[in-house]
Amino acid sequence: MRIPFWANPRLGLLVVIVVLVAVFTALRPAFLDVGLTIVPMQSDLTVFVVVGLAQLAVLSLGHMNLAVGRMAAVSAFASGWAYDKLDVPLPVGLLIGLAVGALVGAAAGWTIAATGVNSFVVTLALDFALIGLVSLLYSTFSDGVAFHVAPAGLDILRGDTFADYCMGDLCGPPIPLVVPIALVAALAVGVFFRNSRLGREILMTGSNLQAARLSGIPTRRRVIQAHMLSGLLAALAGFLLAVNNGAFSADIGGSFLLPSFLGPVLGGTLLAGGAVSVLGTVFGAALTEVIQTGLNLLQFEVEKFKIYIGIVLLVALSLDRLRHVLAERRSGGTAAPRPAADPVPAEHSGGAA
Amino acid sequence: MTSTRPTIESGPTDRVRPAISLRSTEFTLAVLAVVAYIVLALTTHGSVLHADTLTAIFQFLAVPVVIGLAQMVVLGVGQMNLSVGVVTGFCAMVTAWLMVDVGLPAWLALVAGMATGAMIGLANGLIVVLTRINGFIVTLATMTVIDGLRYGVHGTATYQGYSPGLTKLGQGAILGVPTVFLVAVLVAIAVAVFFRRMAAGRRLLASGGNPLAARLSGVSNDRSLVLAHLLSGLLAGVAGVIVVALSGSVNATIGDDLLLPSFAAPIIGGVALAGGVVSVVGTCLAALIVRLVDVAQAQYSINPDWVDLIVGAVVLGAVLITQLRGRAAK
Repeated sequence: MRIPFWANPRLGLLVVIVVLVAVFTALRPAFLDVGLTIVPMQSDLTVFVVVGLAQLAVLSLGHMNLAVGRMAAVSAFASGWAYDKLDVPLPVGLLIGLAVGALVGAAAGWTIAATGVNSFVVTLALDFALIGLVSLLYSTFSDGVAFHVAPAGLDILRGDTFADYCMGDLCGPPIPLVVPIALVAALAVGVFFRNSRLGREILMTGSNLQAARLSGIPTRRRVIQAHMLSGLLAALAGFLLAVNNGAFSADIGGSFLLPSFLGPVLGGTLLAGGAVSVLGTVFGAALTEVIQTGLNLLQFEVEKFKIYIGIVLLVALSLDRLRHVLAERRSGGTAAPRPAADPVPAEHSGGAA
Repeated sequence: MTSTRPTIESGPTDRVRPAISLRSTEFTLAVLAVVAYIVLALTTHGSVLHADTLTAIFQFLAVPVVIGLAQMVVLGVGQMNLSVGVVTGFCAMVTAWLMVDVGLPAWLALVAGMATGAMIGLANGLIVVLTRINGFIVTLATMTVIDGLRYGVHGTATYQGYSPGLTKLGQGAILGVPTVFLVAVLVAIAVAVFFRRMAAGRRLLASGGNPLAARLSGVSNDRSLVLAHLLSGLLAGVAGVIVVALSGSVNATIGDDLLLPSFAAPIIGGVALAGGVVSVVGTCLAALIVRLVDVAQAQYSINPDWVDLIVGAVVLGAVLITQLRGRAAK
């Protein structure tokens, strides 16, 4: 039995985003100012989308990655170091960063798979360890806080939009050059979980470990691969943030934890595992970004953002629950559209590692 | 005192455990703490034996112990509370605000500060039960909200000189033992008695260990969840009040660095994340060990970044050892 279209969380998110944009524009017309708001908003959004995807990659298993920010930091360090000491071109540094992120993610996944320890604990401990490691690495190999490097192309990637490139009178839209990177990542992750055998097997492992194992899926390897993907995407997010900031610094990833959950959870990805929504993650991240930019334009203090974003998260999730209860009633109470409708999972937070 | 387990349980661990087992996590931690302390004493030419250093070690152990217990209570019912750190900071700010700006007497402000923590915990628990949203996400959201509110009390400014009497008491000692540490010990004893002897505590562990079995035995899981979150908030409030009494000045950054230690103490102390098991002694000893790592950092003037690295490694190591031991027992 299908869920009615109005119970689709993606649609709800889209409506909320449109309403908020209208409200903010009415209050501050500058909200639609291309240079002031639209372009920076897209740059920030690319980072949040990729961070959300990094968390989504392990939420697919019912796991969590609390070290998502620090994985980004370690990878950004590796890229910065490569640019600074080895003078590598821009794409090579990116590849080095991605490789480091994937390795750290794989290490976390291996620890979880080999020992059966809860993913929450493993990534929390890893986060602890990496906080220390990143500071030590920066104080040993750089001037202490950051690599101020500018490989060829970094500034272009940072500052330019497609509107800067014209063929005759025809210029591109005012979209920053980093946006396609996030789009490709989102599409790739979407195709991975929807169409690839590996992705489907990871989702099966997430929805029922025992059943997956009995169907011949190498569940341990799938756990490692999902965490590797998470590390890879975290590294990409770290790189994008470094590009936006213009420096590879130790504080990259420090504020990733909350956004990493906001995107997927608002977008309808389950913490219990077994179901993901890439489009929802993009919308969830967009909603967060719209609220932040709007409150910023209305000159709210930074601390007040947090109050509203926390409340939005709670209200959105409560409404989501309500919608599902209603949808269930309407369909006669027989269909269970998704596992979240079951009251029991609320009593088991954390991964089923 | 060993790990307190729920009465509803099956499997080979049903046998009666001796009061002090040589293979228990608590015993290992106690040995580790003593050895670490002796090594510290020998390598620093006895500077950790001085009365001043000892006082400092135990004064600043109070908050980690109480914060660890605050997290342990929710872990016991199979949940997490990401908001403990910011609630501690918020309660500290509220307490100071009540004394300085409202002019309440110190004792009343302390009670109000602790009540604030309990109310926030109650709100967490009610949201978890009423909406059925995962506790991790609920407390992530309330953490964000309270993080903002924390700065709403007094901006980034500092409260100081609120109550000379309170600060004197907080920094003082009874029979050579710092008062704040005594408070932490009393709190730990109260929590231990709650889980060992009181029906509500046993019910809470039963809900954490096996919600279905608990429900079939007539235990209300919802009530256990709300109670666990309420206690967690109350303990975070107590930690906030301790900070106010101990430090003499508070600002909104208090609590920023408490979230990770709050998990480190119970996890190293052998508390399972799955729920149903708590260990008050283990949590306290683990907090002591983490504190000793801090002391070692100060004594050897090591780069403070190493502390995080080491504590992370210790948490992971402790979990792995517990896991391996569990397998060996099977």
